[in-house]
Amino acid sequence: MLARSARGLYWVGRYLERAQHGCRLLAEQLDALEDRPVAEIELNWRRVYTALGRNPLGGDLASGLADDAFMLADAYTLVGDLVFEADNPHAIRNCLASARENARQVRNTLDRELWGCLNLAFLGIRDVGIEDVWMDRPGDFVRSAEDAVRTFWGVADSAMYRDESWHFLRLGRYVERTQLLAALIDAQLAVFPSRAHFSDSDWLSLLRVCGANGAYGRLFSLQVRPPLVINFLVTDPHLPRSVRFGLAMIIDALDVVSLGAPLALEAGRRAGRTGARIDFDWPNLDLGDRSATRAMLHGIRESCRLLHDDIRAAYFAYEIEDTPGG
Amino acid sequence: MSGGDQTTAGPSASVPGSLFSRYVRDPAFYDEMFDRDGVPHEHCRALWSALREMPAEEILQMQERAERSFLHEGITFSVYGEESAQERIIPIDIIPRLVSAAEWEFLERGLTQRLAALNLFLGDIYGEGRILADGVVPVDLVRGCPQYRIEMRAVEPPFGTFVSICGTDIVRTHEGFMVLEDNLRVPSGVSYMLANRQAVRTSLRGLYRHHRVRSIAHYGALLRQTLAELAPSGVSDPTIVLMTPGVYNSAFYEHMFLAQEMGVELVQGSDLVVHNGFVHMRTTAGLRRVDVIYRRIDDDFIDPLTFRPDSFLGTPGLFHAYQLGNVTIANAPGTGVADDKSVYAYVPEIIRYYLAEDPLLANVETHLCRDPEGLEYTLDNLDRLVVKMVGESGGYGMLVGPHATPDERADYAEQIRRDPANFIAQPTLDLSCSPCLSDGGAAPRHVDLRPFVLHGCETRIVPGAFCRVALRPGSLVVNSSQGGGGKDLWILPA
Repeated sequence: MLARSARGLYWVGRYLERAQHGCRLLAEQLDALEDRPVAEIELNWRRVYTALGRNPLGGDLASGLADDAFMLADAYTLVGDLVFEADNPHAIRNCLASARENARQVRNTLDRELWGCLNLAFLGIRDVGIEDVWMDRPGDFVRSAEDAVRTFWGVADSAMYRDESWHFLRLGRYVERTQLLAALIDAQLAVFPSRAHFSDSDWLSLLRVCGANGAYGRLFSLQVRPPLVINFLVTDPHLPRSVRFGLAMIIDALDVVSLGAPLALEAGRRAGRTGARIDFDWPNLDLGDRSATRAMLHGIRESCRLLHDDIRAAYFAYEIEDTPGG
Repeated sequence: MSGGDQTTAGPSASVPGSLFSRYVRDPAFYDEMFDRDGVPHEHCRALWSALREMPAEEILQMQERAERSFLHEGITFSVYGEESAQERIIPIDIIPRLVSAAEWEFLERGLTQRLAALNLFLGDIYGEGRILADGVVPVDLVRGCPQYRIEMRAVEPPFGTFVSICGTDIVRTHEGFMVLEDNLRVPSGVSYMLANRQAVRTSLRGLYRHHRVRSIAHYGALLRQTLAELAPSGVSDPTIVLMTPGVYNSAFYEHMFLAQEMGVELVQGSDLVVHNGFVHMRTTAGLRRVDVIYRRIDDDFIDPLTFRPDSFLGTPGLFHAYQLGNVTIANAPGTGVADDKSVYAYVPEIIRYYLAEDPLLANVETHLCRDPEGLEYTLDNLDRLVVKMVGESGGYGMLVGPHATPDERADYAEQIRRDPANFIAQPTLDLSCSPCLSDGGAAPRHVDLRPFVLHGCETRIVPGAFCRVALRPGSLVVNSSQGGGGKDLWILPA
């Protein structure tokens, strides 16, 4: 397929995943605001912002401000920042707008229904502001935004022809997901106090963001053990929001699209190597040693970043001189 | 054009509160639904009586739903110089305009004749130049036309087809159909023809079925077939692409839509690479040869090496590959000379010259300001004429004399005197009217129609057209960029 179209679809996948991730983080956070202690809420905000690599509006999240009124007012600003802020590249509205704009440019490669899903998702948030949703269950608003993204993927999954369009869309989705997950888990380790005293709810909320609480409960009962949670979210091959699962999807998609692409080897190798590190090195890791775990997670994030460069160089922006038939 | 009295459309008045109860026909204009006595034309009778019995509110809702569906599906266009509304929909009027089988058959013959002559004309002026030597069309008019491309001399496209897609603007007055413009470069609007059909046939389902309206759904297939026929010789299964200037072009939706309908790639200039005289596109699996380019970019921008060097929209070397015969560009570069507003005046002569036939479709009376008599006539009658700039399109830069203030006319006269060759004048046309929804009832609005004519090795016309409507009461300007809307046009079976 046309290189520019592939790039467009890849970015649609990435932006939608980013939007959905933001929705999930916020839905969890807005839920916590209902009944969790202020200190916990504050740490949760830290996790969100650390994971997104962003400073909240107005500077750092000051600790020790145990004032309910302040926290509530603050939440208004933070949610506005994460959903609507024009200057925040991770803001949900920006992600949906970018997904839709990328799709618009390559719209001929998408089924009508799929374009319709994206267009509606965008129109549903385009003219809304934090002041419109805050008083009336902001949680519902982010959940409905996530539903719009889910609908897109549901329609794609059930209706899309499995040609390169599908695989590039999915490639973008999982490159983004793997990166975001590694960052989120890393943020969890950075923000929450380690050792013996930990709060179950901090870790359960991490599981919920990753849609992993049900499976975790079934596999390990509901006894929360942080190393087990980390291990589950990084290595489980059957959990759609695990790092290993994301890498498997990337490897799979690259396998299909690399046929005929002469420069595609590097991306496939890198994705394979990263998966193998989890398969073979991770089990030997002492998960009690936080710095070692975090170093490994950094490595995975860095691999994902380089993977993006590899994909770009192999499929979207290759040098003509290097291609046979040129 | 007798009588100045305004007449309500006859029998309809008897149903109070019906769609047509307040319909006031102006006898100065041909009405597409009613005759001079206010009685519906034979072929409109069924539609008229069905609409009359439908609650106006219901029809209004259908219209709103149709427009909402345009927004949701992103059936939009952009208006230059309007930043706030980058994507707008073309408003639709849900009441279809009907064309009888006989009327359509006549239009089809007229369009086929006209395009045949224009293709012969282009082949001639870029070849031997017989028509110029014979003095039928002035040499300086052709060679001096900015759209004349010297680079096209001696280029011979397959089947002599320079124009493979044209969108002819046709208006109707009491005297009959007339061609207003030929649009031989990159005509647009066909996607709105199809979108309007889609919206109306879902809304007026029963009526649509009842009328056995001729289908236009195969336009994409015909376009693809036409383009495939024009492939360079020796290419049996050509790779066709549609070339767009990109997402900021006002017709981007249409480009995307047509690429999808045809199942071909939508490329921008930067997606194409010319190597060893062949055109390739950048795919995820390396370069792939391209054989036919349906370009929706003006001549000026397709190749910075041949035409405008400052163009970022084109592909360097594209024209060279074309000259070598390794790729087909449709429409061919340089076709604009034949739809120049001055050359337009000669089309009836052009038809007689090449085909030895009388033109079937009339031209609008045109005064060329480049001729001293034409200039004098234009300046003397500015208050009754529409004056257009030769090189402009889309309704830009034109003066509608009767609607202009004396100051505006004086300013414009000054412009004309400065560069007479750049202007032509035509009488204000009594564009026909068609019932449109307005304030909960039907009211007459001026309309035209743009059928799309395809020509590969033969002429093909889908039985339909983009019917444009001047939505403002009394306005004669139907251009989408100037507040016009669209209507579905139903061509009825014989």
